[in-house]
Amino acid sequence: MNPVLRLVNRNLTATIDKPFLIWQIIFPLVYIFVAGYAYTAVISSVSLGEVNIDYPAFIASGMIGFNVMNSSLIAGTMIWTDRRNGMFEQILVGPFTRSQYIASNILTITMIAFISAGMIFAVSVPTVFVNAPISLPTLPYVILSIILGSIFFGSLAIIASIRLRSSERFQITINTMFLFFAFVSTTFYPAEGAPEALATAFYVNPLTYLVDIMRFGLFGTFSSFIVWEAVILATASGVMFLVATYMLAKLNA
Amino acid sequence: MSCITAENLYKSYGNVKALDGISLNVNYGKVFGFLGPNGAGKTTAIKIFTTLIQPTSGKVSILGHDLLKQPNMIKQRIGVVQQKPSFESNLTVEGSLNLYGKLWNISNGERNKRVQDLLKMFAIEDIRNVKNEELSIGQRRRVQVAREFMHDMDLLFLDEPTVGLDPSARRTLLDYIKERVKEGLTVFFTTHIMEEAEYLCDEIAIINKGKIIAMDTPSGLKQKFGGVKIVEIKLKEPFNGIENVLNSLGISGNVELQDSTSIKISAHNAEQILISVIESLNKNNAQVASISVNPPSLEEIFLAMVDGANESSS
Repeated sequence: MNPVLRLVNRNLTATIDKPFLIWQIIFPLVYIFVAGYAYTAVISSVSLGEVNIDYPAFIASGMIGFNVMNSSLIAGTMIWTDRRNGMFEQILVGPFTRSQYIASNILTITMIAFISAGMIFAVSVPTVFVNAPISLPTLPYVILSIILGSIFFGSLAIIASIRLRSSERFQITINTMFLFFAFVSTTFYPAEGAPEALATAFYVNPLTYLVDIMRFGLFGTFSSFIVWEAVILATASGVMFLVATYMLAKLNA
Repeated sequence: MSCITAENLYKSYGNVKALDGISLNVNYGKVFGFLGPNGAGKTTAIKIFTTLIQPTSGKVSILGHDLLKQPNMIKQRIGVVQQKPSFESNLTVEGSLNLYGKLWNISNGERNKRVQDLLKMFAIEDIRNVKNEELSIGQRRRVQVAREFMHDMDLLFLDEPTVGLDPSARRTLLDYIKERVKEGLTVFFTTHIMEEAEYLCDEIAIINKGKIIAMDTPSGLKQKFGGVKIVEIKLKEPFNGIENVLNSLGISGNVELQDSTSIKISAHNAEQILISVIESLNKNNAQVASISVNPPSLEEIFLAMVDGANESSS
């Protein structure tokens, strides 16, 4: 078996906390079915280009993106746990390179993000997506957004885990960053109608790009800006991955 | 060709020299002991040899591969038991052995066989279903050592592997290593415990403050640096004048008195000193219960060398 796949198997078997994983999948469903329907009285529908969708469908599509980001936290936790338990060094003196180690972490969280997205999608199709115009030809963009989002946020979590030696500081830093990413984005509400400064802030946030590409993939609501968002997110993800790999290569074992 | 060759190896952390120009050769199929006090540079050397860190300068070849150019070739063929504990906290003992075998791409049948063999060999069968996080330090150490034998290797690095092990587990490990060495394994072994080095090693290097201060076989070290012999005399009854008797002889060596019934003298001319001490004791009617003259242990040589090196550098 390929070394990266062997490491992914190890990550899934040994490193990931199972209750956390289950919570990662249940958590967005609470948002979709509680907040989604509760806010319908305030926001009945959202306009995406020429298409109007119900708010529960809007938030469900946002939660898929949000969950990609949240799953990436595991990448940082895995490295942090491996360093604490001495497995980081043990793996690196084994038949693996640092690049394979980091690639396995990103691949692990990408798989978790896909499973999580698949489950949200499966639950949403017969419920909140019943009246939504799901666009089959653009569905590959959903896959693209999940991969790019996993690379970006996974690399970010890895960088944080390398820089921060204490578990508490790592958790506080990541949670603070993710709080900003989640609420200063188009995950829960559209940028249109928000105060101008806030709407601008939405677009310095990679989660906004991830969620916009996700919604385009799901509903086919094309705009020329989507192309730019994809380019920006791909570039940012590439840069973050290189920085994370470089920092891991320089990390003293 | 040597299994490990290091030439003029330096490693600095800022102004601190962790390794200060060490050179060594380890032959295939041998156990090489690397002895030194805390902070001497043992773990730094192992981290370099196992590709975890790079030297500041110097040349290293492991199993015929250049350390800097072919680290991945080296890592395929070595095993490493680090000084630091390493474990998968969520897994059981059996699960962690099994997973480690998977990481090394060991086939299912062979992996299951090795897991059972190692559980038995290292006496960890009764804790096979216990999670690593629930084990004692000694049990965790045993699992860590056993786990490393899940995969095939030509060279094994053991960084103080017996720390935390009880005497029985320690002996089991040392005997197991001896067996594997007979099958062709080469071992690079660091320890603080001199009996272990004496029991296991074919060759020993003593390192202090990043420099190798002696390197030879255990018996060679004793011959080279063991000119001093230790005389121990025990008296049947306490003799209060013992200190005056010894002072009057003007002994050129280290004299230790334990209460007034036991004398320990370390000196080059031990036999001559012994005769004159016995004569003096007889004159004073002090009855001797036992006499022994022994070469120094490896530990005594080690302490003498490290102390000597520290004194000459200060």
